Amino acid sequence: MAITPKAAVSARSGGARTLSRALPGIKVYGIALSVSFGVIAVISAALGYSVPEVLRTLVFSSFRSFAGLKSTIKICIPLLFTTYAFFIPAKMRFYNVGAWGQMLIGGAMAAVVALLLADWNLPPVVLIPLLLLTAILAGAALAWVAAYLKAQYDINPIVSTIMLNFVAIQSVSLICTARGFMDPTGGHPQTKLLPSNATLGFVAGIPYSILLAALTILLVSVLINRTRLGYEINAIGYNPVAAQSYGIDFRKTLMLSFCIGGALAGLGGGLEILNIHNRLLVGFGDISGLEFGALGILATLVVGENPMAVPVSCFLWSVLLVGADRLQRTMQVPVELVFLLQAMIVLLIVITRAKLSAKR
Amino acid sequence: MLVEMKSIRKVFGEVVALNDVDFSIEKGRIHGVLGENGAGKTTLMNILYGYYQMDRGEIKFDGRSVKIHSPQDAIRLGIGMVHQLSTLVPEFTAVENIILGTEGRRLSFSIGGERAGILKLCEEVGLSFPLQVKVRELPAGIKQKIEIIRALYRGARLIILDEPTTFLVESEFEQLLKSVKKLIDQGITVIFITHKIREVLKSCDIVTVLRKGKIEGQIDRSEMDREKLVKMMFIEKDIKITESALPRVQLPDCPRSASPVLSVQNLSVEAGEKGVGVYKVSFDLYGGEILGLASVSGNGVKELVRALIHPSLVKEGDIRVKGESIRGLSTLEVFARGVSFTPEERVQEGILIEGTIKENVLLGHHGEQRFLRHNLFINWEEAGKAARKTIDEYGVYTPGEDFLIKRLSGGNIQKVIIGRAFVSPICLLVTHNPTVGLDISSVEFIFRKLVEIRGHGDAVLWVNEDLDELMMLSDRIAVLHRGELKGIFQRDQFDKYQIGLAMIGA
Amino acid sequence: MEAITTFISQTVVYATVYTLVTLGILIGGRAGIFIIFGEGILLTSASTGLIVASSTQNWFLGFLMGAFVGGAAGLAFIYLHETYKVNQFLLGIIFFILGAGLSDLIYKLVIGVTLTPPLAPPTPVVGGKILSEIPILSGFLNQSVVVYFMYAAILIAWWFYYGTKVGLETRAIGENPKVADVVGVNVTLRRYLVTIIGSILIGIAGSYLAIVVIKTYSSGMAGGRGFMAIGITIFASWKPQRALLGGLLFAAVEVLSFTLQIAAKNFPYQLALMLPFLAVLLIMMIFKKKIEFPASVGDPYSRE
Repeated sequence: MAITPKAAVSARSGGARTLSRALPGIKVYGIALSVSFGVIAVISAALGYSVPEVLRTLVFSSFRSFAGLKSTIKICIPLLFTTYAFFIPAKMRFYNVGAWGQMLIGGAMAAVVALLLADWNLPPVVLIPLLLLTAILAGAALAWVAAYLKAQYDINPIVSTIMLNFVAIQSVSLICTARGFMDPTGGHPQTKLLPSNATLGFVAGIPYSILLAALTILLVSVLINRTRLGYEINAIGYNPVAAQSYGIDFRKTLMLSFCIGGALAGLGGGLEILNIHNRLLVGFGDISGLEFGALGILATLVVGENPMAVPVSCFLWSVLLVGADRLQRTMQVPVELVFLLQAMIVLLIVITRAKLSAKR
Repeated sequence: MLVEMKSIRKVFGEVVALNDVDFSIEKGRIHGVLGENGAGKTTLMNILYGYYQMDRGEIKFDGRSVKIHSPQDAIRLGIGMVHQLSTLVPEFTAVENIILGTEGRRLSFSIGGERAGILKLCEEVGLSFPLQVKVRELPAGIKQKIEIIRALYRGARLIILDEPTTFLVESEFEQLLKSVKKLIDQGITVIFITHKIREVLKSCDIVTVLRKGKIEGQIDRSEMDREKLVKMMFIEKDIKITESALPRVQLPDCPRSASPVLSVQNLSVEAGEKGVGVYKVSFDLYGGEILGLASVSGNGVKELVRALIHPSLVKEGDIRVKGESIRGLSTLEVFARGVSFTPEERVQEGILIEGTIKENVLLGHHGEQRFLRHNLFINWEEAGKAARKTIDEYGVYTPGEDFLIKRLSGGNIQKVIIGRAFVSPICLLVTHNPTVGLDISSVEFIFRKLVEIRGHGDAVLWVNEDLDELMMLSDRIAVLHRGELKGIFQRDQFDKYQIGLAMIGA
Repeated sequence: MEAITTFISQTVVYATVYTLVTLGILIGGRAGIFIIFGEGILLTSASTGLIVASSTQNWFLGFLMGAFVGGAAGLAFIYLHETYKVNQFLLGIIFFILGAGLSDLIYKLVIGVTLTPPLAPPTPVVGGKILSEIPILSGFLNQSVVVYFMYAAILIAWWFYYGTKVGLETRAIGENPKVADVVGVNVTLRRYLVTIIGSILIGIAGSYLAIVVIKTYSSGMAGGRGFMAIGITIFASWKPQRALLGGLLFAAVEVLSFTLQIAAKNFPYQLALMLPFLAVLLIMMIFKKKIEFPASVGDPYSRE
């Protein structure tokens, strides 16, 4: 009875097997990228821009100078956090569209606490972790609300997190215009500058927050692939009914995955405030008018399953964004065109992937 | 000939479901289509009904060549089908279901006129049922009648019944036969798909036997007998097969444990969304025993099983495993006490579909110390070992434990699910319809496994809608109806008709 | 009395947006398709509709454009969903992002070039002197033709789903598509139709928002209404008549929040702006028990 086709399969070497498994993936990206760039080329030509120059600026701006690389990294770091914030609950087929709001509230709370504690003159080695912790808790709390609404009231998390996003953006605006915090001199709604013991610096132009970003990559990968919680998250994503039947606590896992996602987004926001902006300002969760939340969603959809692939996709996305910004400044190409390009890439990837998996 | 199907070929991916099949039906007779699970019977009829498209072949209806691209085409020709699983909208009433999709005067309702027409039809055919009740509150036998009337209402002259007895008990089956005879009297042709030889012998004028996608032959009533049909249905020569197309497995004598492994005392459980819940049920199950639990779907059995696994659902009463109560325990804690189960729906409720075999074998055991490191991390080496052991012991046909479970056949998936139940030592197996849709050798394997478990001194609670199976291998059979325990039959008292009556509450 | 009538009038103006979007989502939802990207359609049809209306000085063409944009989006969505079996929620999120980007892009490209803010011609108002004198009622009736379109749409939808056989079948698709198919209903065709029709309604709502309500375009002007409409749909239990009620309710909350901003000078306006969104969550919490979801929402349909 136990006839296993082991012999046939182990004849192929490990390397060949890995390549054959990666091939469909490569085909997916190949099609998506070439078609999307093709469409953008056509649109650019139609609008009268020089196509080779558009493409060159778009793709290579990050690499032309060290300044370009620095800009790319500065975008990549917050993007990494919001991408993971969407990625982790997405493994359970729940879509945390609220990473943007969680980032906003994380940054906002960190700024508030920093300003409130300004007179205490705490040493940075105490203050900074405290502020980051605040940011983490704030983001986690906002995400927790959405998870709770799902667990108790079966409210679709897409809807609830989007509603909470709007609440978060209003909160940021509120804090930036509140009497105690507002910066009277700036033309733009923003708070006073945070005291120096509440700021993080740079090394060779690269923000310190990169260290936390690297740590996060490691932790998330371990979480998903090696921990019990990661197994439970994956299991619910595969089949929530079976997972629950066999003892996985749906509510607990839901809450935890959302809170972890929110915590990461909040941390991203806190780092933005402490490292890059040094104050809370309206619009800090966007880059060129594009929200980190939406970008995080797009970056996740490119990746698929592997948490280690997230930083790669975030980096490539940042390259495009730096290029887009430069395109707008030097050639007056609206930055939304690149946004369109990104959405198209993702759409094609998602479609091609669905088509391939339907065939199997 | 009413219908002639020639050289039909149908392939699903790599599987050849129908291989050059020729099939014809005479007008006005009950024509049986017999074959085991996976033989291709339903596929063939679905092609006739337009639900599937054939890859190659030709269909003639009333002598003319026809193309049936969708159920609409089939209905227009006068073909109606009653599927195995109810295709009524549970939220709608019988009337709403019957008029669903009918031609003519589409932009208005004239329910009054329709109702009168429906009642008249019911009278002609001798079927009756409540018209204004929501279908989800009606039993399976009634639902079937509604589906038959629905087909007739559209002018069907040929009705296909796909495994109609799946959810019927003996007495309801006899009712169905009477209705079918009345249909024949009205000049309607009936096709009867089944895998139970007994039913064919009882009802069909002529039977076509399918085996692994090919026609084995066609026999007229005068020449039908059990041996011939068994030989045509199965190639496996070494399995003895009963009249119900089941492998014959012996149930040896076996000592019962002194005290019960499972003791259910006055158990009450809330009703779920469908179904009725459980009301003051008590019974004991001993080691070395197989207790069959028979009930028509929707009568509380599902809630009972779920309460055993999720004791938080218990409203009143107690459940004791090896003498200790499991109330208030979590599911993983219940597993730790030695309880294991296999769910009713193999794929929908039992497996992590996109996961590997290894991930699937771990499910349910992911809380055990053996598979954890520092309580936080999964010990994937141990999980891999357990998966390989299961694959070997249960003969799962697969290259390895890292392969996706969805690539396995139904029988192999069930083997993984059962094997998973034994990764850690157990004293009680709760299994729900483990043999549904499986080929004969997989069914035999499962039967032998159940007997083996019993032989070790452990207990088996076997929930099954198929009485033939329960009667072959159970020491006792308990019947649940509307959430209440209607009786427990000892092996020497097994009577299919009586048990069937108990199942429908008569 | 005057104040109440004005309040009603304003509410109805905004309610039209909410109700049309809700109706669009509801129509799709009844056949199992969740139009979660309504916000994206609103934005794109707002910018394109406004541009067309102002450049042709014809309000009707503006609405036609909006309807076209909506229909195209719906068609693309249902095609991708049914043919490639892509997850509806993911696809919807992508479409929303696409819509948001496109709306800004098109606006920037067209207006950015000409630099004059577009001025769209007003839509004809039903009413006249006599009607506008009646208190309370005039609030409901002395409105743009588009509002009357909305009233009509509700009635038609209600009659369709509960008074016709085709409506019954379409409801069946939402409950259990296999059943409808087996009975001879062309499930795929129906799903295409409902998605396109629903998206067209949302497209009209978007044009209405830009041309009639706010009379201009700005990035993100839909303000989350496309998502709030999802909440309203759930509140309405997928019934057209309740969609109107829900739309009025939320529009009232929105109008109230404006009033609050103006009336209470020291009250931080941001809190007022948060109100509608919190209201959505509250409504969904309260009405959880009364929800009857069409059972097949979210899954593509295939026979094999």
